Amino acid sequence: MGEKSKNQISLPTFIVWAIALSVTAVFCWILGDILWHGVGQLSWEFLTTEPRNAGREGGIAPILISTCLILAVCLAVSLPLSVGTAVLLAEFTTTESRFGRLVRRSLDVLAGVPSIVFGLFGNAFFSIKLGLGFSILSGGLTLACMVLPILIRSAEEGFRAVPTEYRLGAAALGLSRTTTLWKLLLPAATPGLVVGLVLGIGRAIAETAALIFTSGYVDRMPESLLDSGRSLSIHIFDLSMNVAGGDANAYASALVLLILLLLVNGMATWIAQFWLARRIKS
Amino acid sequence: MAIALTIGLGIQACNQSSPIDNQTSDRFQGRLVLTGSSTVAPLAAEIGKRFESEHPDVRVDVQTGGSSRGIADARNGVADIGMVSRSLKEEEADLQSFAIASDGIGMIVHQENPVNSLSNQAIIDIYTGKINNWQQVGGKNAPITVVNKAEGRSTLELFLDYFKLENSQVKSSVVIGDNQQGIKTVEGNPNAIGYVSIGTAEFSINDSIPIKLLPLNGIAATSENVQNETFPLSRPLNLVTKTQPQGLDKAFIEFAQSPQVHDIVQQQEFVPISK
Repeated sequence: MGEKSKNQISLPTFIVWAIALSVTAVFCWILGDILWHGVGQLSWEFLTTEPRNAGREGGIAPILISTCLILAVCLAVSLPLSVGTAVLLAEFTTTESRFGRLVRRSLDVLAGVPSIVFGLFGNAFFSIKLGLGFSILSGGLTLACMVLPILIRSAEEGFRAVPTEYRLGAAALGLSRTTTLWKLLLPAATPGLVVGLVLGIGRAIAETAALIFTSGYVDRMPESLLDSGRSLSIHIFDLSMNVAGGDANAYASALVLLILLLLVNGMATWIAQFWLARRIKS
Repeated sequence: MAIALTIGLGIQACNQSSPIDNQTSDRFQGRLVLTGSSTVAPLAAEIGKRFESEHPDVRVDVQTGGSSRGIADARNGVADIGMVSRSLKEEEADLQSFAIASDGIGMIVHQENPVNSLSNQAIIDIYTGKINNWQQVGGKNAPITVVNKAEGRSTLELFLDYFKLENSQVKSSVVIGDNQQGIKTVEGNPNAIGYVSIGTAEFSINDSIPIKLLPLNGIAATSENVQNETFPLSRPLNLVTKTQPQGLDKAFIEFAQSPQVHDIVQQQEFVPISK
């Protein structure tokens, strides 16, 4: 009896394995499908030419540039803001303080807001109120608002994860608070920052709803940040849902988006670690 | 070197400026913003690109969002021109509308099919599966291959709307994506029936592809009948403005209605208008 039950897989074990396998299978299926349909279309020419015939022919060069510009605007605005807020929350307020709780609660609510709401806000505020119109700038700023809660919360967790002994030790050595923060806490909190960055970039680069009313639909090569520029996600959406016969290029664009996401994430991780690791040594 | 270049450019600019002065009316500059129907957007964007290549100082920015957005944006001035994929309603009479193309749909069968017309009821019965042999509508003894459009196509919406059908009621044998695929399916199957943009079908028939367009309600499926609005299964694609268009707006709308863009209209699977 004992022998038998050892070899037999119990039902709960089977279910757990089946769930884990099916999740992996879904991911592999999506990846495989995009690779299968997209790889054939992908070429250097596809990456460096302008779209023709509503995107059915030609490449995605202006769209790739617009996507990178939108992401750059978004990160340039949101990174300093989020690190600043996280430092305030983690180092200058206690978990119990009323102010800290208020900020944290607002951020959690903001993180749960659907992206289309950010899109409508961005359209009303950046595009119309501030007069930026449909532009890469309004799109990037809208995305910055959207990823701020994710960045701040994970950076804050990063700072909180640094042991209190570090701070006490620094104080005992007579280091100023600024030096402690700059030389010790920031490098030590890097893992939290990187997690936030990866999540934030992922959310920003995949965004369609928040961008269609802010950065817009124009697939011309952008001449300035005030030009409207179509992001890759909107291009994929338009090709697969709105343009008859655009499926082949939609798949190729999806593949490019996937590769871009991996590249940007890898680069963010590498830069953060390189830059901060060097600092902690010196 | 840099100075020489600047002077060179300056001289070139001076040389160029004389012919420009003679025809200032042809020289437009600025930015034109169009918003509205996602059906019209790809067409307007392609027309915009050609307009930009003829007027290098002009930028035509096309944004989407739906016909209602096109109307609202044209009214409150967010857009210079709105795009609307239907006729204007009575309460929208304050706007000026300009048709740039039509979206007309014709039923197609193989050229060898002896059936030359079908009543609306017969088409509904074929698409809901009540009639499944050509013999029942005066043809050969052969099963009918029903070709339907994939979800999300504007032609599908127009077709279902006209025949007051739900897509779930349609018993289709083949589901296709674009018009070209529909034409190829009917071309390769003498027992198939489908519906495609009349513009694309006429283009293929001229290319001697063995298909034929069936009349609807006794009205021949031709571009002319779509244009003069006698053909029942069609809708206009409009550009709308708040006031009588002037300057750049006027030039763009006239360009979008001109025969210079008919090839673009056909490429985007619509019926060009003939003025």
